[in-house]
Amino acid sequence: MDTAYYLNLAFNGVVEGSIYALGALSITLVFGIARFPNAATGDVMTVGAFGGLAGTTLGGGVIGAILAGVAASAAVTVAFYYLLFRALAKRSAVASMIASIGLAFFLRAALGFFMGHDQRVYDLPLARATLVGPLRVQPADVQVMAAAAAALAVTFGLLHLTPIGRRMRAVADNPDLARASGINAGRVMVVMWLMAGALAGLAGVLLGVKTVVTPDMGWDLLLPAFAATILGTIGNPVGAVLGGLLIGVAQELSTPFVGFTYKIGVGFAVLLLMLMIRPQGLFARNALVR
Amino acid sequence: MTDKTGSTMRRLLAGGSLAVLTVAMAATAPGMARADDTPFRIGALNPVTGAGSPYGPGMQKAIVMAADEVNQTGGVCGRMLEVTAEDTQTSPDAAVLAVKKLIEVNGAQVIMGTWSSGVTLAVMPITAAAGIPELNTSGAPAISMEDKDDMVWRFQATNDRFGQAFAKIATMRGFKRPATMAYNNASGIGNTEGFTKAWTADGGAVVSAVVYEPKRPSYRSELQQILAANPDVVVMGSYLQDTTVILREWFQSGQSPDLQWIIPGWAANQQLIDALGPEVAASIISVDSISNETAPSYDHFAAAYQAATGSPASGNVYAAMTYDMVISWGLAMQAACPDTAPKAINAAIRSIDSADGTPVYTFAEGKAAIEAGKTVNYEGASSRLSFDQYGDVTPDFSLSEIEGTSFVRKDVVKF
Repeated sequence: MDTAYYLNLAFNGVVEGSIYALGALSITLVFGIARFPNAATGDVMTVGAFGGLAGTTLGGGVIGAILAGVAASAAVTVAFYYLLFRALAKRSAVASMIASIGLAFFLRAALGFFMGHDQRVYDLPLARATLVGPLRVQPADVQVMAAAAAALAVTFGLLHLTPIGRRMRAVADNPDLARASGINAGRVMVVMWLMAGALAGLAGVLLGVKTVVTPDMGWDLLLPAFAATILGTIGNPVGAVLGGLLIGVAQELSTPFVGFTYKIGVGFAVLLLMLMIRPQGLFARNALVR
Repeated sequence: MTDKTGSTMRRLLAGGSLAVLTVAMAATAPGMARADDTPFRIGALNPVTGAGSPYGPGMQKAIVMAADEVNQTGGVCGRMLEVTAEDTQTSPDAAVLAVKKLIEVNGAQVIMGTWSSGVTLAVMPITAAAGIPELNTSGAPAISMEDKDDMVWRFQATNDRFGQAFAKIATMRGFKRPATMAYNNASGIGNTEGFTKAWTADGGAVVSAVVYEPKRPSYRSELQQILAANPDVVVMGSYLQDTTVILREWFQSGQSPDLQWIIPGWAANQQLIDALGPEVAASIISVDSISNETAPSYDHFAAAYQAATGSPASGNVYAAMTYDMVISWGLAMQAACPDTAPKAINAAIRSIDSADGTPVYTFAEGKAAIEAGKTVNYEGASSRLSFDQYGDVTPDFSLSEIEGTSFVRKDVVKF
């Protein structure tokens, strides 16, 4: 196989990795600030995908789908912050984590019950790919990557350029000191859940555009997103994004050697290797200056 | 003291023997009665929800309908058929719980109508341990191998047979360079392996083969590998969701625009056309097993099914299969009469499709013929029901292509 073949594989990996990265960013935000691994992230993605479906049905096209999906997921996560996670914040992280597992089951079962298990698709026109050098680039993939990149830019902008972002980073760094400095932790939490929900919702819509919408779709993406989070150091947003891309590219580039049924295993092998060599994750040093 | 103990002992002995006698009588009495007039319990185990939900409700109705038909003739061997239904949710976990409930709580003596291979393979160890026959509509070749006691009957073509049908169709259509893509499970790989065996036996070569993991966000790398070999047709062993994603990505990639796809009917159905649009669907050849449409038994079934459900029988090939399960079970029961133990009935199933028997097309005809001492050959509504050494049938296959906005049958393939 020639260079073009590998370049295309790597490109596929970047597209898949963009979706993992959004999920990982959502997980890492929750972990950094609310301090528990949110197992419902995958199913919040599914909520976003269904929300996006409603957006296109109302005639909004891709933009309508993204707006509706992001709004649906953000609404769900904020609602569950008020109903569930706020009350559990004083308990140990395990309580919140177990609650999030329950929430995941609840969301999936509710979607299955009300929407059925038949697949649904986004009613968007199909377009052919164009050749960019050796790369075969599909318009849909460009949209996926552009949307992911825009979301990442907005997230980093919020975290680093706005007052609320600064407060979020302060809470992530040292909750007690932040409270002592007069930061309203409640408002920080609401903004954080809005962002985490919006990112997961966007991931869901993008996945739905590429594949089909079913109640199980987000659940299937939870493990790679968690792997990306751990790979890039838990709680580190830059690490989450790079971790997602790395896992995506590693999986696709491995296929000529291990075949297609084992490429998922490669993602986890990379993770395992990392945990043995550098258990704190790739970007642990950056975490200190979050 | 001793006297008292002695009399206590005697009383105990007397009471004990009386108790043993009562228990013994209680055990034999209903047993004798059962041979006469207690209903024979059928456990209907269908995919009412989950991926099989387009088919399960119709399958269940067909079982109840057939049991009613048997009962209207006065039952079999003096016994009425009674159906208890459970939902597999198209999930092996749920099906295992359901089959245990059917056997242990409801006292089901035969299990009918499991759909997906994963469910059937999960249920089989339980029915085998209980000494109960299992009748299914699953395709995985592994089912034949796992059935050690000849207690499992398959009313659908095996995936291997589907693969042979694919090979016939590829030859008919003059394809020269086939590639295969299979979902990584017993059914998907069974399809493409069946195709490869039949195709290479005729001297053909498969230019590329991929086995893929389901539920991926993209199948572009898999497609890239297949398309690099420049095939003229891709033979699939797949389900609806992955097929939708794969075909959309192939179309969007713009590679090999003249490529055609041979896809099993459960994946290449109306939902696939709805998802992809007619332009992509134009490259699909959908292959499905079909009912025994020219037989009088099919007309009889189709009319009853239409009346019972309000939907046409042609919309659900699996309903005809579950209908045939009850009718052939009833006929086997009649043939085994007066012994109506599940094992005796199971042993009689092959006797009702003996090639030199009188052809019969309904339960009533068959029952009358067996009572008159004849051997019968039940020609089913779903297929001719000639069970091979594994208890598998061989239906005909249809070749359909898109016309307007739906699949239309273009050819029938017989074995």
